[in-house]
Amino acid sequence: MAVLPIRLFPDPVLKEKAAPVAGVTAEVSALVGDLVETMRSSQGGVGISAPQVGELYRIVVVDVSAHRRGGQEQNHGLLVLVNPEILAMGGKQIVREGCMSIPDYTANVQRAQWVLVDALDGDGNRKIIESLGFEAVAIQHEMDHLDGILFLDRVVSIKTDLFRRKKYR
Amino acid sequence: MGHFSLSVVGRDRPGIVAEVTRVLFEIGCNIEDSTCTILSGQFAMILVIAHQKFTSVAEIDPSFEPVRKSMGLTVSLHKLKDEEVSREKGFTGRPHIISVYGADRPGIVYSVARELARYKVNITDLNTQVVGAKDRPVYVMVLEVDIPEQVDMKDLEREFDKIRKELSVSISVRPIEALEL
Repeated sequence: MAVLPIRLFPDPVLKEKAAPVAGVTAEVSALVGDLVETMRSSQGGVGISAPQVGELYRIVVVDVSAHRRGGQEQNHGLLVLVNPEILAMGGKQIVREGCMSIPDYTANVQRAQWVLVDALDGDGNRKIIESLGFEAVAIQHEMDHLDGILFLDRVVSIKTDLFRRKKYR
Repeated sequence: MGHFSLSVVGRDRPGIVAEVTRVLFEIGCNIEDSTCTILSGQFAMILVIAHQKFTSVAEIDPSFEPVRKSMGLTVSLHKLKDEEVSREKGFTGRPHIISVYGADRPGIVYSVARELARYKVNITDLNTQVVGAKDRPVYVMVLEVDIPEQVDMKDLEREFDKIRKELSVSISVRPIEALEL
């Protein structure tokens, strides 16, 4: 396993669509191992996608269990999602997100409150995972990377959200 | 290279940003950092700008004369010391959001800011406004702050409790929970 360098925007790989993998081969397992190590090496890192290390494959890794708030919510610990598909999603939440590929910037993003995901796990077994709250946000953020979408594409407000001075009619 | 702070205030209407940034573009100024908002019907811009050659206010300021006249904007420009301009945010504490709200009365902002300053808490963002019905104005302040590691949250809470009683305001403090992904 190795800590891989994170691709930083405007690296064009971050705007590409990633390809599905044929199955969890030894190569895919090695990449998953590297992704986990790279995620854990980043301070506060709770998720990473393969495109963020320059590998255009549909693989994401999420682990919110060590996060101050995410760890208090229901979570799956380390989640490896290969070729993930969202089957269903619902509810709304606004969460402040940052991205390792866009350092020093956080913004409020609207995400679904829960997601139902169909994916292969790290051993190549098909799993249906239901996720809520912060973990669901992490999954949605990382899955966006597989389609070249960054959280900047989903910003809902620049700063503090509570008492916007604008009135919407 | 010269750095300047630029502030622009004028009655809000479409075109202020376009006119101000046209001037900056034409004289070759970079916008390094900026924030703009509407305050009581006034559009307020504050920017840090940089120029490759110009190092004095006098070299830039006259370029704003036309927009001062045509749009009635108040434009002020100040020189910044290059070594004081930094992209590093340099916040090393714990980021928190504080909401303060209650019936409008004098001293709400000052009371809170005074205690924060006493504990060396850095205000990184501050937004206040008066909301609610005309005859029942409610003062709302939302702050983002950076609380140094060594500050005991219990001490801060105790100070806030005094303010809550004194000014009959609600104060809530919570950590900013950003997800690093």
